[in-house]
Amino acid sequence: MSRAKLAQLGIELPLLPVTAVGSYPKPDFVARARSDFARGKITAAELQQLEEKATAFWIEKQEELGVDVLVDGEQYRGDMVAYFAENLPGFHTGGLVRSYGNRYYRKPVIAGEVKWERPITVTWWKFAQGLTKKPVKGMLTGPYTVMDWSFNEFYPDRKSTCLALAAVIRKEVEALVAAGCKIIQIDEPALSVRPEELPIVIEAMHFVTYDLPAYFITHACYGAFEHIYPQMLEMPVHNFDLEMSNSSLDMLALFRKHPFTKDISFGATDSHSHIVEPVETVRQRVEQALEVLPKEAVWLDPDCGLKTRTVEEAVGKMRVIAEAARSLRG
Amino acid sequence: MRLLLTNTGSYPRIGETPEQQEVRRTIAARERGERTAEDLEAAEDAGVRAAIEDQVRAGLDLVTDGQIRWYDPISHLAGKLAGIEINGLLRFFDTNFYFRQPVVKGPLSRREGIILPEFAFAKSVSPKPVKPVLTGPYTLARATLVEHAPYKQFKPLVHAYAECLAPELEALAAAGAELIQLDEPAILKHPTDYPMFSRAIEFLARHKGRARLALYVYFGDPSPLYERLQKLPIDVLGLDFTYNPKLVNKIVMGGPSKALGIGLIDGRNTKLEDIKGIAQQIDRILPRVHAEFCYLNPSCGLEYLPRDRAFAKLERMAAIRAAVKGMTK
Repeated sequence: MSRAKLAQLGIELPLLPVTAVGSYPKPDFVARARSDFARGKITAAELQQLEEKATAFWIEKQEELGVDVLVDGEQYRGDMVAYFAENLPGFHTGGLVRSYGNRYYRKPVIAGEVKWERPITVTWWKFAQGLTKKPVKGMLTGPYTVMDWSFNEFYPDRKSTCLALAAVIRKEVEALVAAGCKIIQIDEPALSVRPEELPIVIEAMHFVTYDLPAYFITHACYGAFEHIYPQMLEMPVHNFDLEMSNSSLDMLALFRKHPFTKDISFGATDSHSHIVEPVETVRQRVEQALEVLPKEAVWLDPDCGLKTRTVEEAVGKMRVIAEAARSLRG
Repeated sequence: MRLLLTNTGSYPRIGETPEQQEVRRTIAARERGERTAEDLEAAEDAGVRAAIEDQVRAGLDLVTDGQIRWYDPISHLAGKLAGIEINGLLRFFDTNFYFRQPVVKGPLSRREGIILPEFAFAKSVSPKPVKPVLTGPYTLARATLVEHAPYKQFKPLVHAYAECLAPELEALAAAGAELIQLDEPAILKHPTDYPMFSRAIEFLARHKGRARLALYVYFGDPSPLYERLQKLPIDVLGLDFTYNPKLVNKIVMGGPSKALGIGLIDGRNTKLEDIKGIAQQIDRILPRVHAEFCYLNPSCGLEYLPRDRAFAKLERMAAIRAAVKGMTK
């Protein structure tokens, strides 16, 4: 339980705090503006203005829905790894590869030594935090996932790549902390891809978070957690944000065998279905979770980022989570 | 000894040019109701032709259809069987690619050709022989969620998938497939299941008709299972060399081998292989093989790479073959 850590940082949250995993869908005007910008039809400043408008929309929407720990919605990001690769010397933009079904992304290529020159996310975090009194999470992608989701033509092996990236991401974390950010999420969705490499993920996360005054969250999803549980609890973060609903809450069985010892951001709606679950379904999922997890340790959010949903679906999914949370706080 | 060049399975269905994005555009337009099923089939047909053209242009002896029509290697096959519904997304092994999980709701049965029509089309447009590729019964079963009591124990599910694939193998062989490939990456993750796995492969081998049967394992180090895989009644064993730099030694030390699919070309990284270095490794392997030929191929399907790099990898295979000593083309 890390309520003490939050208190130490001066953050007060209700029971079952509601948060989002990171991304929200881009309204049509942002999607259009991004493609216009790519074609040279509008300037970077014009694009940014629209991204700010969309960010303000999502901050306002989250406040209206009763979200407790907000995200900026990543209106200015494309893919969660490519965004950082575009902003770090050493990376090249790669060609398109398939993610699933008919979805594709540009997989970055590490072509030289990766360096951190200036803050990447701090200006956006400050902008979003300036619009609300509630805490806004700093959102980064972790070194292991950036390594695993990039092609590597420079470093000798996976471990050396991962540790080099950890040094770079640490600098971004330090910049967020210096700007006043107190809750920082460092996503590692690739966490479970090679169970034998879990020690590398943990070592790299130590490097990123060590001795910094912030509450750290890491998000993972769509993995084979049974192969890395309970060892994954050694990750030096306060909160694990996990996809649960897409996998029919399978992980609760693991938690029964070996208690979950951190805070959890519990994925209470499926992020990749068009259907907005009824509040009652979400409530039941959370009630099942509370049979094995202490209430003070549970946060609620969707399984994963919501950028692949429509704006209406995303709002709907956040609304049912917030309503379920309110009804269960009692 | 001949060294033949082949593709391991998939080929990127998207590239940078408008023609190379036609499949994506048509699927999206069809979802919006602006195109018909026939439009999509035409776009996919063109995509398959282009994938085959690339493979032929790079100098391959044996091509695949690139799996251009596949949603993923699991649901595309399982979804055609009776008794299955398709569910949510799961990560495909250690890749950043996701498949839809099949859920077994009732007895499994094959009600139509699974990839048979796709093979027939590819064969009709290819100037080179076409190799049909199927995900094997063990890997399909591992990816499946069971909601049908008789399959709750894993073994009957593996066998049920094998029984669905057997008539498909027969039909592919009858349709002119000279070599049929089964992909079984999952067995590398669950070596203790080897007995049930080998029974399923032995069963399928009895249904290959006049075709030869290849078994490909990838996304892991095959060393722990190498000796046992050698004993299977298959004609070609395809191995992924990218997870263990010592695998070549293992094969060289391990004594005579059956025909190999040598996956020394990394299908997961854009870095192009050193021609001389790979040729030297192949030179060490070939004298240990008791067969008239081996295949050089990527370590896995190529759709994990951008299109231009996938093509560059195929071209590199041809350059490597040219550098292998004592080779009759």
